[in-house]
Amino acid sequence: MFGELTWEAIPFDQPIPLITSLVVVLALAGIAFWAWRKGWWPYLWNEWVTSTDHKRIGVMYIVLALMMLVRGFADALMMRLQQSLAIGASQGYLPPEHYDQIFTAHGTIMIFFMAMPFVIGLMNFVVPLQLGVRDVAFPTMNNVSFWLTASGALLVNLSLFIGEFARTGWLAFPPLSEKAFSPGVGVDYYLVALQISGVGTVLTGVNFVTTILKIRAPGMSYMRMPVFCWTTLAANLLILAAFPVLTATLAMLMLDRYLGFHFFTNGGGGNSMLYMNLIWVWGHPEVYILALPAFGIYSEVVSTFSGKPLFGYRSMVYATLAICIISFMVWLHHFFTMGAGADVNALFGIASMIIAVPTGVKIFNWLFTMYGGRVRFTVPMHYAIGFMLTFVLGGLTGVLLAMPPVDFIVHNSMFLVAHFHNVIIGAVVFGVMAGYTYWFPKAFGFTLDERLGKIIFWCWFIGFYLAWFPAYALGFMGATRRLQHISDPSWAPYLHVEMVGALVILAGIVLTVVQLLYSIRTREQRLDVTGDPWDGRTLEWLTLSPPPHFNFAVLPDVHGEEAYWTRKLTAIRDEKLVEEPKYEDIEMPLNTPTGVICAFFASLTGFAVIWHIWWLAIVGLIGAFAVLVWYAWRDEHEHIIPAAKVAELERERRRIRGELLKTLTVPT
Amino acid sequence: MTDREPEQLNVAPGAPHDSLLSETLSYVIGLGLALVLTGISFWVASTSSLWGPGVAAGLVVLAIAQMGVHLVFFLHITSGPDNTNNVLALAFGVMIVFLVMIGTIWIMGHLAANMGPTPEMLNLHTQRG
Amino acid sequence: MSATEAAAIGLTHNASEDTGLGHRGPESKSIVVPYGFWLFVLSDMVLFSALFATYASLVHATDGGPITSQLFDRTTVAVETGALLLSSFVCGLAMIAAKRGNMAWTQIWLVVTGLLGLVFLALEIEEFAGLVAIGAGPQRSAFLSAFFTLVGCHGAHVTAGLMWIGTMIAQIWAKGFHPHIMRRLLCLSIFWHALDIIWVAIFTIVYLIGTLP
Repeated sequence: MFGELTWEAIPFDQPIPLITSLVVVLALAGIAFWAWRKGWWPYLWNEWVTSTDHKRIGVMYIVLALMMLVRGFADALMMRLQQSLAIGASQGYLPPEHYDQIFTAHGTIMIFFMAMPFVIGLMNFVVPLQLGVRDVAFPTMNNVSFWLTASGALLVNLSLFIGEFARTGWLAFPPLSEKAFSPGVGVDYYLVALQISGVGTVLTGVNFVTTILKIRAPGMSYMRMPVFCWTTLAANLLILAAFPVLTATLAMLMLDRYLGFHFFTNGGGGNSMLYMNLIWVWGHPEVYILALPAFGIYSEVVSTFSGKPLFGYRSMVYATLAICIISFMVWLHHFFTMGAGADVNALFGIASMIIAVPTGVKIFNWLFTMYGGRVRFTVPMHYAIGFMLTFVLGGLTGVLLAMPPVDFIVHNSMFLVAHFHNVIIGAVVFGVMAGYTYWFPKAFGFTLDERLGKIIFWCWFIGFYLAWFPAYALGFMGATRRLQHISDPSWAPYLHVEMVGALVILAGIVLTVVQLLYSIRTREQRLDVTGDPWDGRTLEWLTLSPPPHFNFAVLPDVHGEEAYWTRKLTAIRDEKLVEEPKYEDIEMPLNTPTGVICAFFASLTGFAVIWHIWWLAIVGLIGAFAVLVWYAWRDEHEHIIPAAKVAELERERRRIRGELLKTLTVPT
Repeated sequence: MTDREPEQLNVAPGAPHDSLLSETLSYVIGLGLALVLTGISFWVASTSSLWGPGVAAGLVVLAIAQMGVHLVFFLHITSGPDNTNNVLALAFGVMIVFLVMIGTIWIMGHLAANMGPTPEMLNLHTQRG
Repeated sequence: MSATEAAAIGLTHNASEDTGLGHRGPESKSIVVPYGFWLFVLSDMVLFSALFATYASLVHATDGGPITSQLFDRTTVAVETGALLLSSFVCGLAMIAAKRGNMAWTQIWLVVTGLLGLVFLALEIEEFAGLVAIGAGPQRSAFLSAFFTLVGCHGAHVTAGLMWIGTMIAQIWAKGFHPHIMRRLLCLSIFWHALDIIWVAIFTIVYLIGTLP
C-alpha cells in the first residue's frame, strides 16, 4: 500500500536532520498559521499563487531562490566545519555517509534551486518591461514553470525528513548512482526532483525565446534591444538546446535503476563513460545559462551608473551569441582525464580557450563604458566592479584548466573546486545580488537600505577570497575534492582560513535578511516616487514602481537604442512629456490555479515513484492530465481592464513624471 | 497592431495559407515524394547491386531528403522572408543535434579505443551483471 | 520641431534605414503560439538526438546476446512506416478541412489519423512483446536497453499524440473552430509531422542501416 515507505524512513537516529526537520516544519506551520490569522491566504492565493503576471512570478522565483540559498549555504557551512575539525586524528562530527549527502545536496540545491530560479526570476521580472510589452508570450505556462520548479525544490528538501538524499555528488555519476551501489531512495529523490523541475525549465526556455523574438514594442528591432534581453535570449536558447539532453540522460539512469536497463551499469554492456559525456553536454551550457544573464545585468548596471551608453553594443551582441554557440563545443573539458586521447582533448581544449575571448571583449566593453563616465558607486556598481576583478581571476584559472596537461594534474582537486566557485560566485552570485538590488525598487516601490547593502557586498567579497583562495593552494598541494577527513595536518591553516571566509559570507547572508526586513520597516524614507530612482536608460524605468498589471498604458514607440533614455532626453529638451495617448481597453490573461495544482500532482507522482507506491503514481499522473484537460476546456482566457481605469492610472503616472520633469535639466 | 495584416511578415510553421487545391496538392506531392523515397530506402538497404560502404551513406542522404519533404510539404517551412524565424530556429536545432550526435560518437569511439576492456577483463565483461 | 530634427533624434518610424523586424509591435497569437510550439518540438528533437547518440554508442554492446540482424523484421517496419506517413498526410487534410470550418471532414480525417497511429502503435507493441518473449528484452543488454528506449520514447510520443487527438476531437465537437482551438490543432499537426520526421531517422538508422549485411 505504501510501497517501500516505512517509519524507518524518518531519521530518528540522526539528530541533525531530525532537529532541522522539526524546526523547518514548525517554522513553516507557524508562518502559515500567522498568515491565516492575518487573513492573507485569499490575497496570497489570488494575487500571487495563481498569478500569470510575469512580475509576480519573477518575485516568487526569487523568494524560492533566497530560501534555497539559506539551505544550500547551511550545507556549505557544515562542510567547512567538518573540514576544519576532521584533521589528523579527529574524525569531525559528520560520518562519510552524511557528509556525502551534504555535498551532493549543496551542489544540487545551489545550481538547480538557487542560481537557476534567481536568474530566471530576474529575467521574468525585467524582460517584458525592457521590451516594452505587457507580459511574456505564454503567461499561464510561465506560472506552471514556476510551480514545477518549486515542486522539485520541495522534493529535494523532503529527502531530509523522509528517507535520504543521494551520496553521489551533484551530477550522480554511475556506477555509484546505479541501484547496485546506491540502493536507497537518495538518488531517486535527486532524479525525480530534477526531471520535474526540468520540464518547468524547458517551458521557460520556450517562453522567453518566443517572447524576445516575437513580442517587442513597436520600433524595437533586434539591435535596439537592451543587452540584458540579448543575454536572456542566448541563455534561453541554451536552455532549449541543453535541458533535453539532461532529461534524456537522467531518464536513462532512472530506467537503469527502476527497470534494470543497462545503459550505464557495470555489466550487460553498459558504459558509464557515456553518462559522463551526455551529462556534461548539458552541464557546460548550464553554466552559461547562469552566466550570460549575469553578464547582461552587469551591462545594464555599468551603463546606468556610469551615465553613459554601453560601449560597443554590437560587439556585446556578437560576443553573447559567440559564447552561446561555442559553449556547446567545449563540454569534454570536464573529463579530459577520462581517456579520449590527445586529438579529442586538443580540440576541446582549444575551444575552451577560445571561449574566453568573447568574454574578454565584454570585460573591455564594460571598462570602456566606465571610462569617461561619471561613475556612481551604488551597491549594484560595487558588485559589478567586484565581479570584474573576481571573475577575471576565475576565468584565468579556467584557461589554465583548459589545457589538458595542466588539467591532468589538478582535475578533481581543490584547484578545480576553487575555480568554479570563483567564476560562479564572481559572475552569478554577484550578478543576482546586483540585479536584486537594482530592480528591487521597481518591484516594490522603495529601495533597499544602501549602507547595509554595501556591508553585505564586502562580506561576500572578502568572504569569498578568504574562503576560496586557500583552496587553490590546497589543490596544488594535492587536496582532492569532497574530502570528509583531512590526513595532512599541514593543510589545517588553509582550512581554518576557509572557515573564517565562510563565516564572513554567512554574515552577508544574515545581513541580507536583516536588510530586507529593515528596508520594509523604514520604506517611507526611501520611496521610489517617480519610478526612475537610478536615472535609468531602459524602458522598465518608464513605469511607476511597482508597474501596473498591464505595464504600459500604451506600448511605447521605440526610436533608437536606449529607448527610454532617448525619450527622457527629448522630454527634458522639449520640456514636455510625450503626447497623451488615446486610451483603450486592455486584455490581460486570467489568473489560474493550473500551475499549482499540476505541481501538486507532479509532487505526488514524484514522491510515489521514489517510494515505489505505484497506485499513487498512476493517480498522480491521471490527476495531472485531468488538470490540463480541465484548463484547456475553459472559455474565458482574459479579463478586460477598462480604458477608464487605464487612463486613471496613466494620468497619475504622467502627473508624477511631469513634476519630475520640471526638476530635470539636460545632462552636460 | 494593424487591423488587417498587409503581407504577412511572419507565418506560423505548418499554417496553411493558400487555396484548397494548392494546399491539398502540397500534401499529395509530399506524400508521393515521401513514399517514393521510403521505397527507395528499403530497396537500397536490401539490394546487392550497390557498392557496400556507400549504402549507409546513401540511406542517410535519403533520410535527410525525406525529412526535407516533410518540412517543406507538410510543415510549409520555406525560405521566404516570412519564415525567417522558423528557419533560424530549425538551423539552430539542427546544429545542436549534429554537435550532440557527432560529438558523442567521436568521443565514445576514442574512449572505446583507449579505455576498452583488456583481454583478461573481456571474459568478465560478457557475463551478466 | 522640423522633420530633419525629428529624424536626427530618431523620432520617426518611416526612416529609410532598415532597423529589421520589430516595427509592428508584438505579433498576434496565431503567430506566437505555433512558433513557441515549434521551439518545443525542436527541443524534443534534441532529446531524441541524445537517445540516438546513446544508441549509436551502445549498438554493439550486446553482451553476448542477440544482435540487430537477428531481431528486426523489415516488413513490419515497412508497414509501420506506411501507416505513420499516411497518418501525417491525413492529418494535413484535417487541417485543410478545419481551416474551412468543415466539422464533418475535420473529424473524419482526425479519426483516421488516430486510427493509423493506433495501427503503428499496435505493430510496435507487438514487436516489443515478441522481443521480450524470446529473451531479448531491454534488460538483456545495453544495446537492447538503448533500442527499447529510443524506439519506445518515439512510441510514447505517439501515444501522447493519440491522447491529444482524442482530446481535440472532443474539443472541436464541443466548441467549434474558435481561434484558440485552431491554434491547438495547428500545434497538434506540427507535433504529428515532427513524429514522422523522427521515425524517418529511426527506421533508417536502427532498422535499415542496423541490419545491413
